[in-house]
This record gives sequence, C-alpha cells and structure tokens, in this order.
Amino acid sequence: MTKTMLELKGVRTAYGNIEALKGVDLHINEGEIIALLGANGAGKTTTLASITGLVPPKSGTITFEGEDIRGARTENLVKKGLIMVPEGRHIFPGLTVLENLKMGAYVLKDQSGIKKDLEYIFNLFPILATRSKQSGGTLSGGEQQMLAISRSLMGKPRMLLLDEPSLGLAPIVIRDIFDTIRKINTENGTTILLVEQNANLALMLAHRAYIMTTGLITLSGTASEFLNDENVRKAYLGG
Amino acid sequence: MTHKITASHIGRVIWSEFKPALLASFWICLLAFPIMTLSINPTNQSFKFSLDRMPYLALGTFVLSILWRFFLKRRAFIGITKAVHQSEGLPEDLRKGPKPSWLTVVKASRYRRQGIYVLLAIMAILPFISSPYTVNVMVTALIYVTLGLGLNVVVGVSGLLNLGYIAFYAIGAYTYGLLNHYFGLSFWVCLPLGGLTATLMGLLLGFPVIRLSGDYLAIVTLSFGEITRLVLNNLTVTRGPRGISYIQPAGFFGIDLNGAPKEFLVNYLRVDPAMDINKIFTYFIILCLVIVTIIFVFRLENSRLGRAWLAMREDEVACQAMGINRTRAKLTAFALGSTWAGLAGVVFASQITFINPASFSFLGSILVLSIVVLGGMGSIPGVILGAIVLSALPEQLRFFSQYRMLLFGALMVLMMVFRPGGLIQSTREVYIHKTNGNGKGDGNGTARLEALTGAPKPEATGERP
Ligand SMILES: Nc1ncnc2c1ncn2[C@@H]1O[C@H](COP(=O)(O)OP(=O)(O)OP(=O)(O)O)[C@@H](O)[C@H]1O
Ligand SMILES: [Mg+2]
Repeated sequence: MTKTMLELKGVRTAYGNIEALKGVDLHINEGEIIALLGANGAGKTTTLASITGLVPPKSGTITFEGEDIRGARTENLVKKGLIMVPEGRHIFPGLTVLENLKMGAYVLKDQSGIKKDLEYIFNLFPILATRSKQSGGTLSGGEQQMLAISRSLMGKPRMLLLDEPSLGLAPIVIRDIFDTIRKINTENGTTILLVEQNANLALMLAHRAYIMTTGLITLSGTASEFLNDENVRKAYLGG
Repeated sequence: MTHKITASHIGRVIWSEFKPALLASFWICLLAFPIMTLSINPTNQSFKFSLDRMPYLALGTFVLSILWRFFLKRRAFIGITKAVHQSEGLPEDLRKGPKPSWLTVVKASRYRRQGIYVLLAIMAILPFISSPYTVNVMVTALIYVTLGLGLNVVVGVSGLLNLGYIAFYAIGAYTYGLLNHYFGLSFWVCLPLGGLTATLMGLLLGFPVIRLSGDYLAIVTLSFGEITRLVLNNLTVTRGPRGISYIQPAGFFGIDLNGAPKEFLVNYLRVDPAMDINKIFTYFIILCLVIVTIIFVFRLENSRLGRAWLAMREDEVACQAMGINRTRAKLTAFALGSTWAGLAGVVFASQITFINPASFSFLGSILVLSIVVLGGMGSIPGVILGAIVLSALPEQLRFFSQYRMLLFGALMVLMMVFRPGGLIQSTREVYIHKTNGNGKGDGNGTARLEALTGAPKPEATGERP
C-alpha cells in the first residue's frame, strides 16, 4: 500500500521576471527515495525552495501528507518533519560540531531524546564524534556534508530534501554518504528527495527519478528503467 | 650546514627591513606636509612656514613603523611555533597543547563563587572611600557596561550591525527627562517606562530592516541614530538644542540624602564632605542594573532564543532550515538589545540631571560598538572589561590633552591587530583538545558520547587522532 507523501502540481515559481519553474508536477510516496536530476540552472534548487517555502511559488499546489503547504512558513514545515539540507551545506561555521547538531533539534519540544539521537548520529558518522568539540568551519568538505545531514536528522524528519550532497566531494566520500542516505531510508523509513548532478550514483540509490530541463519535468520513471534505457543513458548519463 | 654570514648579507637583511619603514615615513611626511609646516597666525592674518617639526615626524614614523613590523613578525612567528608544538613527530613533552589562559584558570577555580562575593563587597565599599569625581567616573563606566552588554546581544550574539544604538539610549534618557520635566514623574516610574519605550522603538526599527543584513543594515541603523538626534534637536517639546535641565536625581523614599544621611556618612564613615550622596545612590542603582543585566543576558544567551540568535548570526539559510523563525529572532534581538540602552538612558539622565541632543551623537554609538569589539564579541566578561577600559581610559589619557583621541584611536588599531578576538575572547573550543578513538571509529559511539557529554572539561592532552 503506497501513500503519497509529497505532491506538486503545476508549480510555477519566478524570481522577478525570470520564471524558474514553469509548472512542475511530481509526487513522492512514503518511504521512497526519489532522485531529481537535471543540468545546471534547470530549477532543481528552486523546486526545493518552493516546497520549503523559502521562495513562495506563484501558482500550483503543493501537498504534504494530504495537507496544502504552498506558501507555508519554513519553520512550520520543519515542525511537520519536512526538512531540507541546503545546497552548499550551510553548517554553522563558528559553532562546534556538537552545537551544530543540537541546533538541528531546535524545533523539538521534547529535548530529552537528544542524547539518544546524538548516539545514533555518532554511530552513523563516527568521525563526527571525534570532532564534536571542533568548530564546524574547520571540518573538511566531506565532514561538513556529514554534519549537515546529521544536523537535519536531529530534527526527526519524516521527509528529507537533500540538495546535491555530493557537491565537491571525492568519489569515496560520496559513496560513504550515499550508503548512509540509504541506511537512513531503510532503517527509519525516512522519505528522501535527492537532488543530484551525479546521475549515475543517484540512480543506484533511488527508486524512481525525475529529469528536469529548464523549469519543467521532462522525463520520469523507475531508476532501473533509466539505467537501462539507451537514449536516457546517452542524453543524461554520459553514454 | 653552516653559512658564513657576511657583512653584505646582514646589510641586505637590514635593508629589506628598513625599506618599508623608510617608505612609510616618507609617505606620512608627504601627507602631513601642509599641516606640519604651515602655521597660521590669526592676529595679523599671516602664515609662517617652518620645517622644524618635520625631522621629528620622520623619525617618529620610522621608529613606529619598525616596531610595528617587528611585532607583526613576532606574532606570526609565535603562531608558527604554536602550530609546530601541536603537530606530530615531536617529543611528548613538547606537545603539551595550548597553555590554559588565566581566564580558564579563574573559571575552573574552586574559589570562583567566593571571588564574586569579594568583588561585590569591594564594589559596595568603593563609593564611600572615593572622591566625588571617581564616583562619577564609576557610574559612567557602569552605564557603559550596561550599554555594552545590550549592544552585545544585537551585534555580538545576533550578528546584526547596529550603528545607531545610542538612539535608544537617548530615547530612554528623554523619556525620563520629558516625563519628569512636564509631569514630574519620578525616576522609579520612568525607569520601566524608559526601557519599554526603547523596546518599542527597537521593534519599530526592526520591522523595516528584517530583510536587510550587513552593510545595508549598518546604513539604516546609522540613519536611524542620526534622525533620532535631529528630531530631538528640532522639536519644541524637547526644547531643541537647549535640552532639558534640572532633572531630578533618583529618589530614595522621599528622604533627602544630602541631609541627615550625609551627616552620618561624613561623620562616622569619613566620606568626602564634598560628596553628593545622590551620586552614591545612583552608583548603587546602576550597579544593581548591571548585575541584573549580566544575569539576564547570561540566561538569555543559553536559552532557546539565544540559540536562535546564534544560528542567525552564523548562517541565515541554515537558520531557516533549522526551523527558526528568522523574523522573530531578528525583531527580538533588536527590541531586547534596545531595552538595556533605554534603562541605561534613564539612569544617565538622573546622573547628570541635564540632557541635550549633543550627548547622543554618532560617536556614542561608535564608542559602545568599540566596547563590544574591543572587549570581545559575544563574551560577557569581555564586554564588561571593554566598557571599563574604554570609559576609564579617556579619563586617564587626559594628560595628553589634545592628542587624547588620537592616542585612543592608535590603541584601538593596535588592539585589533594583535588581539582581533578582543580582550577576552568568547570561549568557544576551536581546536580539539581531547580525542578518543582513531578517527575512523569503531562503531562504539555510545562510549565516546559518554566521554563527550559526561566530561564537561576538555583536558588539553594535545593528542591527535
Ligand atoms: N535568487 C535568484 N534570483 C534570480 N534568479 C535565480 C535565483 N535563484 C535561481 N535563479 C535562476 O533560476 C534558474 C534555476 O536555478 P536553480 O538554482 O533552481 O538551478 P539548479 O537546477 O539548482 O542548478 P544547479 O544544479 O546549478 O544547482 C536559473 O536560471 C537561475 O539563474
Ligand atoms: Mg541547485
């Protein structure tokens, strides 16, 4: 039995006169990992910003667990469990790793579970435990990405929106992070929308995928369909 | 490997050191040439040209420049040796890690509580054994402590550059001044009112600047400060530049403090007979206000709201992604920061009993900002020390009369170059001092977490993962 978690219908978003989204339709079922692929400037980040209310869409509908959330405030969505890891990580550079993580639990009313969540995170990324007193800005890029993902987990997400977690990282680190993303999905049943440039890797992880070109979804299907389709491989996956 | 050090070698080193100093000296002489050589005689409307002062200027700049370069080099060198000491491959005894600063020693001390009591006792006795002038300076210093702590909430903790902070101080002072002048309201009624008015004005300023940050915010707040001053200067209710005089000092249950209480104090406690006892009373009021401020600000910083401010300062995008209401965080920072300025303003008005717009110039905002920056952004003890240094230092420098502000500026520049984090830096662990495990981890996160959360004091073992 599949339940739709998030659904976008005809979402249009503009920055002034520039229309970045020209009617985006997509849906994500509970427990799925969805990859959102596309070239630079296709509108992937804008899609996430529209969902989280950072850039309110002009028209269209966005529903999260059956509830209309278009134009809702970001902080209310975080409380509902819709949490984004922004592009370029955006950790708090002057705060320690531990403080960064605690900041992730900002919206939680019940702060008693934090210690247990920290335990979970330090098991997921042991390196963060050894770095916990170090300020976030001094972490390496890969560690910062781990911290960014971990921090979002501290808010107990029902659904995670990840914007290019592989950005600027070495292949081995990317593999590590992707393994963890899968783990988060299977162990906690967290639904994941993954925006990626690295299509090959994203498709290894995702159940389904959407391809975006200049503000529109131009192709959708299961990950295996994409990986096996000769035309898709040529056009988007580099042969 | 030993190189013969030849005379020409030394010569080259000296030359490479002296060349920039010579250039600096030459440059300054060129810049200052007109003001140092020409002097105008206003009586017979002539001017005199003389080169007498130029050699001193040249030599002075040259020496200062050499010293400057020397200290900069030394600082860089110390940085390198520290890094080397902390690195691997050195004998155990060389890898001690950084020495704990005196502040950590004070903090960790078992006598901390007693220390605070002793300090409070000294603060309580001080006005009775000081001269009226000293008491006045101390009141001013404490007012600046309050202002510094208030602005620290806005700039240091929340990272919102406010260049018009003195306006809220003015609003507090004028709230008391006007209400006292026209309606005869007392200090104790006006103290909360002054705080409240400043808070409301802070909110009012907050709304239009919600979307601004950085340079834009600085410019808008600067304008706000100037507008406030100009309004006070031009309204008839505020009596324009003449200001408001004969403001009542704070009352003490309607008792005339300069009557019987003064007699008692002078006769039995040997208080200076020239002392205005109202000033001593004001001293205690501002002391209490400072204590309340410290407690309040401290608790605020460690509260949910404080964390929201910190997040906002660090990264606005991430702050929103954490589910923090950025608008609310910004408004509360502005409003609460202004509250303290308002309260301090009321005390100020009661201290000097005369206020006019000139007391609230842009320079005031800069002074308070300097207190926060010099003391150490976000550090409460730092801001306190900064306020005391900056309000007492100009008094001490009176000896240098007209060069006072010049010297003051030079000291500030030196401070910022050699101690950019402020006198007392905000205590945040930047480097890891204690590490367990080997970095890759053994999956035993629980044990490590216990070590992390159960042991609050990181020990400087200097070991590396
Ligand atoms: N703040 C903004 N103001 C104006 N235009 C913007 C803004 N942000 C994005 N755009 C434009 O919107 C379009 C979509 O940008 P978006 O960031 O969503 O792309 P993307 O798919 O995430 O690209 P990338 O893979 O490079 O991150 C681009 O043409 C971009 O120039
Ligand atoms: Mg993007």
